[in-house]
Amino acid sequence: MTWTQVLLTSVWGGLLALERRAFLQAMISRPLVAGTVTGALLSDVEAGLGVGVVFELLHLGGASLGGAHADHDTLPAVAGASLAASGALQSGNPSTPAQWAFAILLCAPFGRAGLLLENRLDARARKYFGRAKDAAESGNLQRAARQNLRAMWPQFVFYGLICGAAALAGESIYSLWPRLPESLLRGLTWAYPALGVAAAAIAIQGSHAPSRLRIALGVGVITALTLLFMSGRAP
Amino acid sequence: MTIPRLTLWRIAARTLFIQAGFSPEAMQTLGLLYALEPAWPRLYPDAPEQRLEAMRRHLTPFNTHPYAAAAIVGGILHYEAKVARGEATVDDVAKFKRTLMGPLAALGDGFFWLSLRPATGALGVALVPWLGWKAPFVFLLTYNLVHLITRSWLFVAGFRHGSAVVARLAELKVPMWSNRLRSLAAAAASGVGVWLAFRFSEQESSTRWLGAGCLGLGLVATWLIERKVPPLAVLYGAAVLATVAGALW
Repeated sequence: MTWTQVLLTSVWGGLLALERRAFLQAMISRPLVAGTVTGALLSDVEAGLGVGVVFELLHLGGASLGGAHADHDTLPAVAGASLAASGALQSGNPSTPAQWAFAILLCAPFGRAGLLLENRLDARARKYFGRAKDAAESGNLQRAARQNLRAMWPQFVFYGLICGAAALAGESIYSLWPRLPESLLRGLTWAYPALGVAAAAIAIQGSHAPSRLRIALGVGVITALTLLFMSGRAP
Repeated sequence: MTIPRLTLWRIAARTLFIQAGFSPEAMQTLGLLYALEPAWPRLYPDAPEQRLEAMRRHLTPFNTHPYAAAAIVGGILHYEAKVARGEATVDDVAKFKRTLMGPLAALGDGFFWLSLRPATGALGVALVPWLGWKAPFVFLLTYNLVHLITRSWLFVAGFRHGSAVVARLAELKVPMWSNRLRSLAAAAASGVGVWLAFRFSEQESSTRWLGAGCLGLGLVATWLIERKVPPLAVLYGAAVLATVAGALW
C-alpha cells in the first residue's frame, strides 16, 4: 500500500464522518457506499462491496433518535473495507471471502467505538456553543454563526486518522495470512456467508415492519426455490 | 420587509449543516444560528441592535430531524419577516418552533431513518447480485431522489405557509408509505440473506450442505434477534460456528 492510498483513505474516512451527521446526510456514508468506494480507492472494489454489504445489513435499522445515537455505521465499513483490500494488496492477488470475513470480524466493534468517540466529540462541541453565545453577547453575529463550522474539524481529523490507521495496519496484519493453517482459512471462507445471513436476520428485525417475520419467511422460501431451480439442483 | 430569493437559497443551503455543531445540551442550536445568519441583515438592514436581538432569541435549545429542520427554518423566516414588518410578535416565532420541533422530529425519524433508509439500503444490497458495484449508486440515487425533493419542498412549504405546513404534510400520508417501505426492507433483507447463503456455497462443490447450514443459521439468528439477543453476539456466534464447521469439514 502506498502512502497516497493511506492518505486517500484518511481523507475519505474523515469526509464520510462529516457527511454522516454534520453535513448533507445524503447516505454517501452508509456502509454499502462507503465500503465500496473505499475498496475502489484501494484497487479492490470486490472487497469493499463484500464488506459493505454485511455492514449495511448489520446497521440497517440503526438510527439516532432524539439525543440518543446508534452505533457508528461508517467507521467499521471504511476500516473493514480498507483492511480487506490491503490483504489483496499484500498478496498481489484478488481478496477472498475469507479475508472479507476476517476484516468484518475485526472491525465490527468499531461501530461501538465510533459511537463512544462521537459522544466525546459532541461533549467537546459544548465549547463552540459557549463561544457562539459570547460572540452573540459582544454583537458579532458572524463569529457566533461560524462556530457551527468550526465544530466539524475534530470529527474529520479523528475519524480520518482511524481509517488511515486501519489501512496502514492491514498490510502488517495480512502479512501473517500465509502462515495461517489451511483449515482455519477454509473455516473463514465459510464464515463470510454465515456473517451475511446473520446480518440479514439482524436487518429483518431492523426493518421495523410489523409483519416482518411472515414477509421474510415468504420471500426467503421463494428466493431459495428460485435459486435452487436456477442452479439445476431442484429435486 | 422581505428576504431576497438569493438569500433564501443561501439559508436553504446552510440548513444542510444543521447538525455540524451538535452538542448534548444545545443540540442543533449552533446549526440553526448558522442557517439563519444571512436573514438578519435583510430583515433589519438599518438596525444592528434588532439583528442581534433576533439572533439571541434563537440561542435556546433546538432539536429536530435534520431534514425536517428545513421546514422549521423556512417557517422561522416566515414569522421573522412578519415580526420585522410588525405583523407578528416574537412569541409567535417561539411558539412555532416549540410546537413543531417534536412532531416533525418524530415524523422525520419514522419516515426517513426507520423506513426510507432501511428500504432503499436493503434494496441496494438486494441489487448487488445483478448490478455488482453499481448497486450502491442505485441506492444513493433512489434515496436522494426522495430526500432532496422532500427537503427542498419542506423549506419552501415552511417559508410560504408557516405553521400551516403541518396540514400540507398530512396530505402526504407519511405513515402509510412508512409501513410499505418497512415491509419492502424486510423482504429485501430476507432475499439477500438467502442469496448470500447460496452464492457462496456454490463456490466449493464439496460444500453442498453449506447453503442449507447457512439458511438454518439464518432462522436461528432471526429467532435470537427477535428475543433481544445482542446483534454482535449473534454475528460472532454465527461466524464462530461456521468457521469451526468449515475447519473440521
